Amino acid sequence: MHALIGENGAGKSTLMKILYGMQKPDEGTIAVDGEQVTFSTPGDAIARGIGMVHQHFMLADNLTVLENVVLGGEKLHGIGAKARKKIKEISDAYGLGVRPDALVEDLGVAERQRVEILKVLYRGAKILILDEPTAVLVPQEVDALFDNLRELKSEGLTVIFISHKLGEVLKVADDITVIRRGTTVGTADPKTATTKQLAELMVGSELPSPETRESTVTDVPMLQVEGLTLTEAGAAAAVPLTTAAPPDPSGAVGLQEVGEGRKLLDDISLTIHKGEILGIAGVEGNGQTELIEALMGMNSPNAGVITLDGEDISAVSVRRRREGGIGYIPEDRHRHGLLLEAPLWENRILGHVTEAPNSKRGILDPKAARKDTERIVREYDVRTPGIDVTAASLSGGNQQKLIVGREMSHNPKFLIAAHPTRGVDVGAQAQIWDAIRDARRAGLAVLLISADLDELIGLSDTLRVMYRGKLVADADPATITPEQLGSAMTGAATGRLEGTEEQSEDGDAR
Amino acid sequence: MGIASAALALSATACGKSSNDTGSSSSSSSASGALKAAIAYDIGGRGDQSFNDAAYAGLKKAEDELGVKGAEAEPSQGESDADKVARLTSLARAGNNPVIGVGFSYAPAIEKVAKSFPKTTFGLIDDTSKTGPNIANLVFNEEQGSYLAGVAAAKASKTGTVGFIGGVEVPLIKKFEAGFTQGVKDTNPKAKVLTQYLTQPPNFDGFSKPDLGKAAAEGQLDKGADVIYAAAGLAGAGAIEATATAGKWAIGVDSDQYKQAGLAAYKDHILTSVTKDVSGSVYNVIKSVKDGKPQTGEIRYGLATNGVGLADSNPAYTKMTDLIAAVDKAKKEIVDGKITVKTAP
Amino acid sequence: MMKIDKDKLIIGAAGPVLALVTSFVLTVLVLLATGLDPIEPIRLMIENAGYSDVQVLIVNYTAILYLAALAVSIGFRMNLFNIGVEGQYRLAAMVSALVGAAVDLPGPLHILVIVLVAVATGALWAGIAGILKTTRGVSEVVSTIMLNAITTSLVAWLILPKNFGVQPAGSNDLTTGQIPESGWFPGIDMGEGGQIYGFTFVALALGVVYWFVINRTRFGFDLRATGESESAAQASGVDAKKMIITAMLISGGLAGLAGMPILLGESHTYSLAFPVGVGFTAITVALLGRNHPVGILFAALLFAFLEKASSSLDIAGYPKEITQIMQGIIVIAVVVSYELVRRYGLRRQQQKVGEELAAGGAIKTDKEVTA
Repeated sequence: MHALIGENGAGKSTLMKILYGMQKPDEGTIAVDGEQVTFSTPGDAIARGIGMVHQHFMLADNLTVLENVVLGGEKLHGIGAKARKKIKEISDAYGLGVRPDALVEDLGVAERQRVEILKVLYRGAKILILDEPTAVLVPQEVDALFDNLRELKSEGLTVIFISHKLGEVLKVADDITVIRRGTTVGTADPKTATTKQLAELMVGSELPSPETRESTVTDVPMLQVEGLTLTEAGAAAAVPLTTAAPPDPSGAVGLQEVGEGRKLLDDISLTIHKGEILGIAGVEGNGQTELIEALMGMNSPNAGVITLDGEDISAVSVRRRREGGIGYIPEDRHRHGLLLEAPLWENRILGHVTEAPNSKRGILDPKAARKDTERIVREYDVRTPGIDVTAASLSGGNQQKLIVGREMSHNPKFLIAAHPTRGVDVGAQAQIWDAIRDARRAGLAVLLISADLDELIGLSDTLRVMYRGKLVADADPATITPEQLGSAMTGAATGRLEGTEEQSEDGDAR
Repeated sequence: MGIASAALALSATACGKSSNDTGSSSSSSSASGALKAAIAYDIGGRGDQSFNDAAYAGLKKAEDELGVKGAEAEPSQGESDADKVARLTSLARAGNNPVIGVGFSYAPAIEKVAKSFPKTTFGLIDDTSKTGPNIANLVFNEEQGSYLAGVAAAKASKTGTVGFIGGVEVPLIKKFEAGFTQGVKDTNPKAKVLTQYLTQPPNFDGFSKPDLGKAAAEGQLDKGADVIYAAAGLAGAGAIEATATAGKWAIGVDSDQYKQAGLAAYKDHILTSVTKDVSGSVYNVIKSVKDGKPQTGEIRYGLATNGVGLADSNPAYTKMTDLIAAVDKAKKEIVDGKITVKTAP
Repeated sequence: MMKIDKDKLIIGAAGPVLALVTSFVLTVLVLLATGLDPIEPIRLMIENAGYSDVQVLIVNYTAILYLAALAVSIGFRMNLFNIGVEGQYRLAAMVSALVGAAVDLPGPLHILVIVLVAVATGALWAGIAGILKTTRGVSEVVSTIMLNAITTSLVAWLILPKNFGVQPAGSNDLTTGQIPESGWFPGIDMGEGGQIYGFTFVALALGVVYWFVINRTRFGFDLRATGESESAAQASGVDAKKMIITAMLISGGLAGLAGMPILLGESHTYSLAFPVGVGFTAITVALLGRNHPVGILFAALLFAFLEKASSSLDIAGYPKEITQIMQGIIVIAVVVSYELVRRYGLRRQQQKVGEELAAGGAIKTDKEVTA
């Protein structure tokens, strides 16, 4: 099992795409089993026994597991009993525990991932590439995944594991390659290496830590939410997405059917004070997206009052809320934060078109906007050759820095930060954390939503757990461990969570 | 940028030659050689199996019999009067005489161009609103022929219900409807006339899509019509097909459709056809110019001159003596002016 | 910075050029396949374009196409496909002609009234599709096609002599009556060549306004943002529904103006012979012009040239349908080549950014940006 680690934008994904035949290398060779090969399509790679499990699953929700697995591979074992037998065989051999007739839409994230792995094995892969497989899993699920991977390894398969979670890498890998800026900067032996060494190899500098040092929490409420409730019908009113909540992993029944449909947000009440960071933990799809959209004004809640700085903004438009001082770092920056094919300076205007320096009396001021973009690029260390390149040509981390810089430039009173460092390299992570902390010190209220539990625990002043649209538990970040938080996220624990150990000692460096 | 390029276009225009200039191709050959005649088609152009083809037939006849050299020009979609002016001008400049515009849409253009070419005769079909000393307005009393068709239909009908299918709802086709309805009612006041138009302008599918005519005819057959008169160009073929298949009578239009090869399978059910001698009118204009006595003013083709009429090629039709007598009587009365046929319903 | 701009220009031009060359080559092949001389018709067309009267026709038709294509492109700019420009144009021309013939006002005022009625009619008609989309989720593609069909029937009904139409004595045409001379927009007399519609200059001015609104106003930014990413625009505070309706209204208004050059400059009435199909040609023009006012101008000019310079080809014995083939191929080639060029451009830029960063370009950001 070989792990490939590096900052985002270091070239991990590009390397994987080349290995999988999705992109062609300019020079260099690839050898499989000592034999030199060239791939021009993923089909070539599959023929050579290379399989890829993407970070974003490529499954058809309304088909069964069996159908998903045979889709596109009908020639291998047919689509009937033979295929079913083969799936069973693979599933049992590696302990994947996949049920061929379950509908994919009924499966949880971890199960879907196992289907993806099975899909690849079904096509006869001997080399498995896993792109950030743990990003979507809670700690317990990560452990289960690692068990599966060890099983594969023992059967003689090769696994290439892409990650930037160093603790995980050390736990599971046999060999580690670190890349930075497109080249290999080192290899490490997981038996001897420490996370610190790896991280320094990755960024070539000291490690950041998400911890907030001193509390800046005041008793002046900035954002108050009272009884916020949203049903599916209300969410549908907002045109773009709203991810459906995954079903209960424990198999419990009883979806609440209330009038117009299931409740996506159920009686949410919370208060964020000036200078406070409120973290919300939860498995993705438990209402976090809807909560953000409700706070931004992008959907229409059925009930509830939102008060910002003493002003009721429940019925105010998105634009007015933004003008009123809400900053927004979206969870999906490509969908909600950027115009990918527009130049950086236009992206700097996005979301703040009515505010200085972007426009005056309805007329844009490109000169001022450009100048300010240059400032953001400088101050937030956005690595770009200029402000006229498109946002799409930047790496994920640099895109995120641009967004953070943009949102911070308008001195928000309240910031919604959804996965602010997702897909961002360690160096940029520190800068983003610093930016948030600095603003917090100046009295900013922050709603932090993250799948990175260390980030949540380290950065937040207060923690709440969201499960099926409800805030089910709260915790003190000073005492809670990621494991405890993880179990609360699956609905196993409610109420006030008390930490049993003092401080988290998890191996993750982040 | 936009203004600059427009200015460029303008200056290019200012110093360019006009295609009407003598430098233009072949304009100098007008004086010599055989007579040249030209027709400018209506939308649809040659091959529409109707109006334009009839005009072409006239030109063809002139080519064969008079040794005239013919030229044709087709319109393009979305053109304005200015384009028609340009087309007629280039035809006239090229020495064509006469130049015939097929269809009323040429009226404004011919009015303009005729003034620039006083020695050229312009034929204008289906319009008398624009006149001039060198304009021959070729018009037809379609309503008179249609009246006779109405008489025949009323006589041939057993159910007392007859159908009229118009191709496109324009005044020209309304004339057909008016005459037909009047003919039916004058013959059998209790008869019912079902009227349907296939399309509205500027959608001219109603002149060209047989499936539309077929569907309309089937609808009228369902409502009990047993004689159907379709004034719908090529779309009328569909109506004839449907009517013949149902074993009822169809009445054709423009030319004698009993003799039309494409409809041979249904000809026994084509009672008669209302003929409109567009080809003859085109031929006549050309001939008049060749003879040195160019036609001018309104040239009306009615029953009296056999410019319109009813075909009698179907033996079954000639056997209906009662019907023939009624038609002949009506024809005489129209020619004598005893019956005035309405031109609008 | 300059370098990237130049690149952008080349990449921007590559799409149309690729499309045009492809369509030209294919047209020549079609001509060859039918056994015709492939060069002669093209030579004839170029010769025709040298004559002043053909030039006037081209310029005038360009103005009409330009307005209609602007109408289409404002929709395209935010991913709305207004196929109904044709219907909006026809209905607006008809209604404004009716009003123009009915009222008698002093010169400029008369013209203004006609123009305003046209804009209002076009906007209203397109607005129906906008409202259907925002309230009922009806695709504007479907609703505008339907509205086109309704336009045909509505105009046919309105123009009946028993309603508002006028049938001149001895004519088989139906008109809306003649607009008094005070409602005529003066043109520029080109002598032999004819008249250039005065409204042509209004069309060009609107092109400038279009550019300014799209590129230099908040509204334009919101519109473009919506077109590039609806989800991002919504998150940025754009009210999608309001935007859809506004864009449809503007699109319809411009479509309504497309009938003005002819109505005010030549026909002075709406008749059965009023040009049709403009709104459909405009879709291609907008595509070819990449929704940019200057690009659209060139595209309109090209299409006007193809249309008008070919009009006498049949007299010379060549089928003028070759220009239709050419236009058809352009549509396909445009779609394909733009996508190819777009992908190539994006990849190329990503590569370049990568290279420049690897070469340490980022460190020099300060210097770079002040350049």
